[in-house]
Amino acid sequence: MDDDFSVPATNAQIGLGNDLAGVKPVHWLATLTLDFAAKDGRSYLAKRQHNGPLVIQKTLYPEGDALCHGIIIHPPGGVAGGDELILNVNVQTNASALLTTPGAGKWYKANGAAASQHLQFDLAEKSSLEWLPQENILFDDSIVNFSADINLGQEACYAGWEILCFGRQAKGESWLTGKLNQKLVIKRADKTIWQESAYLQANDRFFHSAIGLGGNVVSASFVVAAGAVPTELFAKCQQFESDSASDSKAKFGVSALSEVFSARYIGMSAQSARHYFEGLWQILRPWYASRSAARPRIWNT
Amino acid sequence: MQNIKPQNIASNIALSRLLQLASPMLPVGAYSYSQGLEWAIECGEVIDLASAKTWISDALMIYQGRYELPVLYRQYQAWQLNDIAAVKEWDTYFQAGRDTSEALAETRQMGYSLCRLLNDLGSLPADFMFKINELVNPAFPTVYAGITHLWSISAQDMLQAYAWSWVENQVSAAMKTVPLGQVAGQKILLELGAFLPEIVTDAMQLEYAEISNFTPGLSIAGCRHETQYSRLFRS
Repeated sequence: MDDDFSVPATNAQIGLGNDLAGVKPVHWLATLTLDFAAKDGRSYLAKRQHNGPLVIQKTLYPEGDALCHGIIIHPPGGVAGGDELILNVNVQTNASALLTTPGAGKWYKANGAAASQHLQFDLAEKSSLEWLPQENILFDDSIVNFSADINLGQEACYAGWEILCFGRQAKGESWLTGKLNQKLVIKRADKTIWQESAYLQANDRFFHSAIGLGGNVVSASFVVAAGAVPTELFAKCQQFESDSASDSKAKFGVSALSEVFSARYIGMSAQSARHYFEGLWQILRPWYASRSAARPRIWNT
Repeated sequence: MQNIKPQNIASNIALSRLLQLASPMLPVGAYSYSQGLEWAIECGEVIDLASAKTWISDALMIYQGRYELPVLYRQYQAWQLNDIAAVKEWDTYFQAGRDTSEALAETRQMGYSLCRLLNDLGSLPADFMFKINELVNPAFPTVYAGITHLWSISAQDMLQAYAWSWVENQVSAAMKTVPLGQVAGQKILLELGAFLPEIVTDAMQLEYAEISNFTPGLSIAGCRHETQYSRLFRS
């Protein structure tokens, strides 16, 4: 199943990089709306609606009935200037869902138009959502708007990470030109409990400053909104180290606020960021989800 | 002596009030925080005058200039309009964007101390104090915007004084911890002081979408400071 999608992804990447230069791009709006519900202790995808190239692969239950896994796929494999992706997820009372992606999100050279992704997650009371996508890679000269509005009902629990790579490292590419506008807002019972906003041009002093990225090319953040982390678990998170053998400039840290646990990583490797967050996820998941962390198999492919 | 026009007297009183608020003597405990600078020193990012100046000016331009100052300006405007609902909204926004427990605790402690001082002064108008006391755990800039507006301090002067106090406090932290001498500290103040008018003007012109609190290096410094073994500054 997964292989069906990796082929067009590669083609699209090559095509947009070269052949389509100068051709007026086709702008795609893709919307996917998912409704998860729970019945008799089983979470299930009650409704899905999609418009354009953003779909969910069939749902999976690798951890039993209570948690429904879904893999979100964008078959074109990359997002060109002018494209817009919208993912709406509603999780109804007592339902639990985990969503991930099969591969890195690729954000192509803009050709003058911004590409955007909007996440709208609405979690009813006592529901939970884990949003654990693979990294997003911003190609040089991309203009990207990321926004996420996450609304939590009472006792709803959200865990999500975002890993952002500036430039295609595998090709030795730097993010020399481009723009990034990123907004994340998490509300619980209509009160904003977390907000993060970035508004950056590629030549910003932010990228070399130690208070910004400090010359690194990967920025990642992991947020768990499930109330205050128990002290002993938080101490474990503080002690957990990123696998920095291959990534000696990496910096990372955690903080526990009353409503939100936050972890950040800046470094040279999306892999290291993932390793760090997965380690924290293993520590925290028994607390916020009452289950141990089991890696989705798609991450191994 | 020349005759002094009444409007000059009024504006000179506003200047006195501004200096009082900007003074390190203001009992809000600002001196007890380093905002990640102590960690930057611990891990060798800041080791001398030049690196201290770089850290402080970057935090001034990237964090203060794009987050605290534009939010403070909007809070001031909300106080000007007597729109307390907007004051509270911006307070919630500001606090939700303080992304480490030490950064959030700091602004709440300083907000609390300033509220307490305003109450203890005993001479401020009752309707103003009613609005101040209605705020629940306000952030420092929320209260600061209210009192500067009450004291007829202009938005521009308020922002410059706020940024000045912040820079002075950072320089003082660097002097104690790097350590740096008196002259080194004055050199940083002299240089960064000259940037403030432009930083303030830019902050006042930022659109809502441009307000940005995204400074992962600074955030991580705050995270690591929370467990730093030996600390002069509060977490």
